[in-house]
Amino acid sequence: MKASLGRRVATYALAALIVVSTTLPLAWMLISGFKGRSEVLRTPFQFFPDVWLWQNYAAILQDPAFLQSMALTFAGALLFTLLSLVVNSIAAYAFARLDFRGKRFWWVYCITPMFIPGMAILLTSYVVVSNLGMLNTLAVLIIPGAASAVQMFFIRQFYLNTPLAIEEAALIDGAGRWRIFWSIFLPQSQGVFVVVGVGSFLAYWNAYVWPILTIQDPGLQQIMQYIAGFRSERGNEWGLLMAGSTLAALPTILLVLIFQRYIVNGVRLAGMK
Amino acid sequence: MHKRITRLATVGIAAAAVGVMLAGCTPASSGTTEDGKSKVVFWQQKFEDYQQDWFKAQVAEFNESQDEVEVELLVVPADTWDQKLKAAQAAGKAPDVKTTSYGNIKPMQASGQIADLSELMDADAFDDIAENIAPFVTVDDGVYGYPLLVEPSTVLFYRTDLLAAAGIDAPPTTWDELLDDARTLTTGDVYGMNIGQTAPDLGWSSWGLQYNVAGDFPLRGDWSEASADDPAYEDLAKFYQTLYTEKLMPQEATYPYADCSFFGEGKVAMSACGSWALGQLSANPDWAGVWENTAVAAFPSSDGDPTSPTSTLGGWTLTVDAKSKVQDESAEFVQWLLADDTDRLVDFFTATGFSKYPARVSVTEALAATPEAADDPFLATITEDIVPYAKAEPSYPWDVSLAFATSLEKAMRGGDIPAAMSEAQAAIEDVIKKQKLAGTGSD
Amino acid sequence: MTMSPQSTNRLATAASVALEPETTAPAPKRRRGVGRLSTHVMDNRTAYVMIAPMVVLLGIFVWWPLLYSFYLSTFEISFYEEPLFVGLQFYGYVLEDPDFWHSIGIGATYVLYTVPAIMIIAFLVASFIRTVGRKVAGLLKTTVYVPTVVSAVITSVVFVFMYRADGGLINWLIGFVGLGPFAFLSDPELALPAISVPGIWLAFGITTLIMLAGMYDIPQSYYEAAQLEGANFFQRTWFITIPLMKNVLLYLVVTATIAGMQQFELPLVMTQGGPTNSTMTPNLFIFNQFKDPTPYATSFSLTAALILFFVLGGISMLIFRLIRSDKAIDA
Repeated sequence: MKASLGRRVATYALAALIVVSTTLPLAWMLISGFKGRSEVLRTPFQFFPDVWLWQNYAAILQDPAFLQSMALTFAGALLFTLLSLVVNSIAAYAFARLDFRGKRFWWVYCITPMFIPGMAILLTSYVVVSNLGMLNTLAVLIIPGAASAVQMFFIRQFYLNTPLAIEEAALIDGAGRWRIFWSIFLPQSQGVFVVVGVGSFLAYWNAYVWPILTIQDPGLQQIMQYIAGFRSERGNEWGLLMAGSTLAALPTILLVLIFQRYIVNGVRLAGMK
Repeated sequence: MHKRITRLATVGIAAAAVGVMLAGCTPASSGTTEDGKSKVVFWQQKFEDYQQDWFKAQVAEFNESQDEVEVELLVVPADTWDQKLKAAQAAGKAPDVKTTSYGNIKPMQASGQIADLSELMDADAFDDIAENIAPFVTVDDGVYGYPLLVEPSTVLFYRTDLLAAAGIDAPPTTWDELLDDARTLTTGDVYGMNIGQTAPDLGWSSWGLQYNVAGDFPLRGDWSEASADDPAYEDLAKFYQTLYTEKLMPQEATYPYADCSFFGEGKVAMSACGSWALGQLSANPDWAGVWENTAVAAFPSSDGDPTSPTSTLGGWTLTVDAKSKVQDESAEFVQWLLADDTDRLVDFFTATGFSKYPARVSVTEALAATPEAADDPFLATITEDIVPYAKAEPSYPWDVSLAFATSLEKAMRGGDIPAAMSEAQAAIEDVIKKQKLAGTGSD
Repeated sequence: MTMSPQSTNRLATAASVALEPETTAPAPKRRRGVGRLSTHVMDNRTAYVMIAPMVVLLGIFVWWPLLYSFYLSTFEISFYEEPLFVGLQFYGYVLEDPDFWHSIGIGATYVLYTVPAIMIIAFLVASFIRTVGRKVAGLLKTTVYVPTVVSAVITSVVFVFMYRADGGLINWLIGFVGLGPFAFLSDPELALPAISVPGIWLAFGITTLIMLAGMYDIPQSYYEAAQLEGANFFQRTWFITIPLMKNVLLYLVVTATIAGMQQFELPLVMTQGGPTNSTMTPNLFIFNQFKDPTPYATSFSLTAALILFFVLGGISMLIFRLIRSDKAIDA
C-alpha cells in the first residue's frame, strides 16, 4: 500500500511546518546572537544579520563569570541528579516490591509533596536551610530537592512491572533485598534512570528563584542567575544577551539529542509491556 | 550480600559526605571572623558600576585601616533585593549594615528593624546633615539611617537640537505647554516625550507630580483617610492619559522609568528621568551624539509655578540592623564611610558625573569648590531649580503608592478617569483598615 | 514554576510521563499483585532503611517548612518584635481581597488560553506522527520535545524580543497578512494571550509524546476494522481514539491546569504582572506581596500561598482520584 506522491509531499510539508514552527524561537535566538548591538531590533525586521559577527559568542565564552557559572551549574546538576537517583530509586524499590508496616502512611507521606506549591514553603524552607548553615553553598541547591515524589513514583511504576519470577528465584537462593536491588533491578533501570535523570538535570539547570534567594556569593552564581542578571544590567546589548541565552540553553538541548532514543522510548516504557 | 549492603551504604555515605563538604564551605556568619575580628556584613544594592567600584574600594580601605573590624561587602541585585532581605530577616541572618532608601526608613523603624544611630555615632556627625534632609531619617529623637546621597526623581531631559529644529526656544514650563511641545516634536521616528508607564514605575515616579497637582499625596495627615478622590488627581490622570493615548510617548515599556535609554537612543525628544540618568547618558559612548545636545530643566509644574514641587528627593542611606550583634562596629564603619572625611565623598560624587547630590553641608561645600563641579553644565539647574523645592518621599506603605499607580495606569491607557480614581480611593481605604494605618501618619 | 526544587514544571512533566502507563493500559489484575511478594514475610527493617533517606529529606525540606508556614500564618509575622497572634485573620483578609481573586481569575484565564491549545495542538501533532514513517516520526518526536527543556527564563527573554513592536519577529510575520504592529506586552488586552504563546510552546511537546504513547497502546485492529466500515479520520478519532484515551486526556488536562494556575516565571520576566495587572498570576501576586518591609505584607503573602495550596490541592486530589494509582499500594 504505497502512499500517493501528493500525499507524501503533503506529509513532508506538514512535518517541515511542525519542525520550523517549533524551532523558530530557538533559531531566532541563535541567529540574533550573531547580530550587532543595534541590529537585533531593527525596523524593518530582518531575520539574518548583514554581517555575521562572532564577537558576541566569543565575548560570552571569554567571560570568566559565564564559564564559571556554566561549570558550577553543570557540576551541581550532575551531583543533584546522582543524589536524586540514589535516594528515589531505593525508596521506589521498597514501595514497589516490599511489604512493611505502615507502608500506606509512608506512601502518602512521600507522595503528597508532589502537590505542595513551592511558594507556600519558600520562606520557611529558606529558614530551614539557613539554620542548617547551607546558605551560599552548592548544598542548598542539591540536597533540599533531591528527594522527589514525582521521580520516586515514576521509578516505582517501572519496578512494579518487573516480572516476579526472577526475584523469587533469587530470594529462594538466599539473596537479600539489597542484593536483589543491586544485581537485578539496577541493571535494568538504565532507561528509566535516563528519563528521570534528565528531568532532574533540567530542574536543576533551569532553576531560577531558589538560587536567587539562597546564593549570594558571585562565585557560586548559577547559570539562570547569570542570564537574568545579564539582562537587567546590560539590557541594551541584545546580541550579546541572545548569544548568552543560546549558550546557556545549549547543554540541555544537547542532553536531549544525546539521550533522545531513551526519552522517546521512555515515554512508551511501561505502556508497551 | 553484606558486601552489597556495604557498597550501597558507601554510596549513601559518599553522598552525605559530599553534602557535608559542600555545606562546610559556608562563610562564617556575622559576629566574628576566624582571626577574632568583629565581622560586619554589609549588603549594597546593585547600582551603577562606579558605585560598586567605590564601595568596594572603600570597604577594602576600611578593612586595611584597622584590625578590629572586618567588613564583608555583598552586592545584591535590585530586582530581588526585597525578597532576599525578607528571607534573610526571617532566618535571623539580616545584614548588619545595608543600603536603605529614604522611603523605607519609617516603615522599617516602625516595625523595629533598624537601630537608632544617634546612640551609636558621634553627635556632631548628625549636625552636618542638610536641614531639609534630616527629617527623612529622623523619627522622634532618633536617627535611623545615615544619608549618603539625594537624587531628584523627576527631571526634564530634552534635546536642544530637536527643540530648535521644531522652533521651540525654551523647555516647557506648564503641562499644557509640555503637551503642545510633545505634539510638535512627535514625528515618524521620534516621540515627543517619555515618562513612566507601568504601575510599579508610576508608584514612585509620579509622587512629585501627585504633590504638584494636589498639594499633597493621596494619603495625608495622620493617615486616617484616603484622599485619592481629590479632584485634582484627575488632572494628573488626564496628563498621563493624553501623553499615552495621543501616542506622544513610547507605547511599550521597553525600559523601566529608572533607565533613560529611550532618550539615549534618540527615540524621544524629551524625557522625564531621575537625575541619575545624567550619569547613564554621559557614560555611554554610543550616545555621544545625543549627549552633546542634552539639556535639563525642572519638570514643569501643572500651573507653571516653578516653586511648586514636581519631584521627590529620593536617595540612599546606610542603616544598621536592630538585631545586629555588632552594632557598634557597624556604626563605626558607617561613620568612617559617610560621616567623616569629606574627600572620600567628594570622590564619590565626582564619579557620579554630578548626577547625585550630597546630603551633608560640608560635602556640598567641598564639592562646589572642585573645578569639575564648576565646569558641570547641569549642576546649578539641579541644585538651584529642583532640589530646594523637591519633596520627601512619602513614608506610607508601598501598597498605597501601588494602589494609586495601578489606577493611574488604567486611566493612562484610556480608562475612565473618575472610575479609576474611586477605585484607588477604595483600595487605599482598604490598606488603611487592614494595615491599621489610621493615626500612625505624621506627614 | 522553578521555585524550590521540590516542585517544578519539569518534574511535573516527568510526572505525566510517569503516570501514563497505568492509565493507558487498563492494568491487568496480575500487575496489582506484583508488588505484593510473599505477603506473610514483612521486610520492615530493610524497607525502613530504604525509604529512610527520602523520608528524612522530605521531612526536613518539605513537611517541616509546610507545618511551620501554617503556624506562622496565624501571626502577624515580625522578625524583630514579638509576633502578634491573630488566628485566622489573614485568611479572611486574603479571601476578601479583590486583588487576590483578580489574580486567580488571571490564572484561570491563562489556563483557558493555554490548556485547550496545548491539548489540541498536541493531539493533532501526535495523530500526525502516528501516520508517518519511522524516520520522520523520530525526527518529529525529538523536535517537539526540545522546547520542553528550554528554561522559562530564557524563553521569556527570547519572546520579549520577538514581541517588540519595533523590529520584533512576530510583528514582522503578522505584517505579511496586513496586521500590526501591536505592542503586545504593553496592551492590557493582548499581554495575557501574548504570554500564553510561550506557555503553549514550552508545554505542547511533552504532551504530544504522552498522547502518542497512549495512541500506540490502542490496538491497530480497532482502526483496521473501522476503516473496513468506511470510517474517516474524524470518525475514527471521535469513536475510537478519544474514548480509549479518556484517562490520559483527562490526566493531561488536569496537570496542565495545575501547572498553568501556578505560572510565574513567564509574567515575572516578561511583564512583571502588568500592564494594569493584566498578567498578575496568583504566584506572581504572592511573590510581589512579599516585597513590602511591613509585617502585614509577609503574613499576607504567606497566607495567600497556603490558600492557593488548598485550591491546587483540591485539583490534585482529583487527579489521584481519577487515576486511582494509590490503590496499587496495599498497606
